[in-house]
Amino acid sequence: MAAKAKKFIEECKDTKNNELEIVDKGINTLEIPGLYDLKHLTRLTMPHNKITVVPDVISELVNLEHLNLFNNHIKELSTSISSLMKLKLLNLGMNKLSVLPRGFGAFPVLEVLDITYNNLNEKSLPGNFFCLNTLRALYMGDNDFENMPEEIGKLKNIQIMVLRDNDLTSLPKEIGEMPRLRELHVQGNRLTVLPPEIGHLDLVGSKQVFRGENNPWVTPIAEQYQLGVSHVFDYIRSDTYRYLYGRHIAADAAPPPKTADKSKKISRST
Amino acid sequence: MASLAAHRERLRLQSLNDNTESDLFQRRRLHNEENPNPEGFKSTNMSLANGVCYRCNEGFTPQEQIVNSNGEIWHTQCFVCAQCFQPFQDGVFMRKHIHVNPFVEVINKIGIFDGRKYCEHDFHMLFAPCCGKCREFIIGRVIKAMNSNWHPDCFRCELCTAPLADAGFVKNAGRALCKECNNKERAKGMGKYVCHKCHAIIEDGHIKFKGEAYHPYHFNCTSCGNELDANGREKGGELFCLRCHDKMGIPICGACRRPIEERVVHALGKAWHVEHFVCAKCERPFFGTRHYEKKGLAYCETHYHQLFGNICFVCNNVVQGDVFSAFNKAWCVSHFCCSICDRKMSQKTKFFEFDLKPVCRVCHEKFPGELKKRLKKYHDDLAKKGQS
Repeated sequence: MAAKAKKFIEECKDTKNNELEIVDKGINTLEIPGLYDLKHLTRLTMPHNKITVVPDVISELVNLEHLNLFNNHIKELSTSISSLMKLKLLNLGMNKLSVLPRGFGAFPVLEVLDITYNNLNEKSLPGNFFCLNTLRALYMGDNDFENMPEEIGKLKNIQIMVLRDNDLTSLPKEIGEMPRLRELHVQGNRLTVLPPEIGHLDLVGSKQVFRGENNPWVTPIAEQYQLGVSHVFDYIRSDTYRYLYGRHIAADAAPPPKTADKSKKISRST
Repeated sequence: MASLAAHRERLRLQSLNDNTESDLFQRRRLHNEENPNPEGFKSTNMSLANGVCYRCNEGFTPQEQIVNSNGEIWHTQCFVCAQCFQPFQDGVFMRKHIHVNPFVEVINKIGIFDGRKYCEHDFHMLFAPCCGKCREFIIGRVIKAMNSNWHPDCFRCELCTAPLADAGFVKNAGRALCKECNNKERAKGMGKYVCHKCHAIIEDGHIKFKGEAYHPYHFNCTSCGNELDANGREKGGELFCLRCHDKMGIPICGACRRPIEERVVHALGKAWHVEHFVCAKCERPFFGTRHYEKKGLAYCETHYHQLFGNICFVCNNVVQGDVFSAFNKAWCVSHFCCSICDRKMSQKTKFFEFDLKPVCRVCHEKFPGELKKRLKKYHDDLAKKGQS
């Protein structure tokens, strides 16, 4: 296994290629001899492998801009990962993460973060997670979030936010303070209402996306959703809805129960 | 009597000489001839012999020549100028009429004043007015002004030397000035312009036309015909109101609506100050860099693509050249990859949608069954909803 990887590394070293792809080779570790000599690497793509740990030494790839570890078995991330000063794209989707390391929010130029299909929830996020204000896309679908911290509003550059298939019972009103947001995926959650502040966003144009299917919406929203997304937004901007929303929050009803069976998720297996 | 007759004949020769060419003498002679007065003539004749000289009151010797002038008789040596005691040349003298300017009409060349007779020269010396400018006697029309007498041609504006005799004048600081120069002088004193047309002082705003100042209301706009105000402008030897002036030839900035005096940018069918032609989004001037137009607005490269979608999803830069478009996103040709394995894809490569990202068939195959099932259901539901 290590021999296979070594071949790729040697090749990369010889050609001085600054991009390394080792896809679906059954690699189970990132501690591959010679890998960290490739200081010039800007892209490391290793999806569909069996890596379980991202080690401290990853921070030696100081020129890395693009790190793709989709569909591995990663349970543990080194805190040093956030010292990759040039990293712009980090794909940790389809792994077994249930926590993000302390200081994870320190990437200075991270633009795209994909943590889709893990076992993360609001308690998994480090304190500085929402300092990632260079983020333009955040993929967090297929996780276990029940609430989204209101600090999410600090991510002012977010254009794409995917919260699909979590356990969200509500959205923070601060989402309405993300001025550049043009894609919001919240389908497959436990949402009943939308904060009226989301009406500040422009998500109904031909270039914008709002996905809200498969939520136990209150009847008026569900009805509007049948007519189309633009009707939902017109409605939540109305005074009628503001009143109804106020009543709904005051009633403080118990959230709908979890219905999704996540036991078959591969991120759960040990 | 014969001697008397001879004496009279001599007198006539002497005093009523036609050579004097005096109109009055001629008229008077005619008058005397028309109205002869024999009695008076006789008495005159009688008194001549016994009479005395008008000047010295002495009698005459019989052989002596007697000068008779208007009934006064004189010794020849007494009939002289009261000033120089010289005989009158050709027997002419000047006579001064009171009340009428005696010099308008020269009666004869012997002057008389208070009954005294003067030769032409002394009469002028004593009584003729002297021109305040050339110091010559004034014969004919006299202009009395500024405590002095003047030849009409000598009485001129002290500044522009225009004749004042008929135009009238204004006293300005001891100077005789024409109205125009007076206004100019006054205006100069007050720091104001004098209208070149009406010569009055311009109290409020003036306009300049061909180098001269005018009241604006003497002119109308060449273009719209409205009366001008002080904002009127000269262009090509004609005057225009500010509005018409700004409209003509001089471009107007599409942003600030003011005329553009310096460099002009032509874009979007309008003219702009260089510093006013800006990106509709970030409002930074293009300063000659490329701009992109959309719906009558101009954008810088960054914001045009940011707003209208040609930013590569991977590199976040403006897509140069061909664009791959899918899922409301754009990619540089070289950056269009499977979002999972980073394998490059072409236009022909089949791909699946996952969170509005492209996923190649190989990677999609590797998705866990439960996810594939969920995604399929979700897409089926969407398709169903789309059909209904």
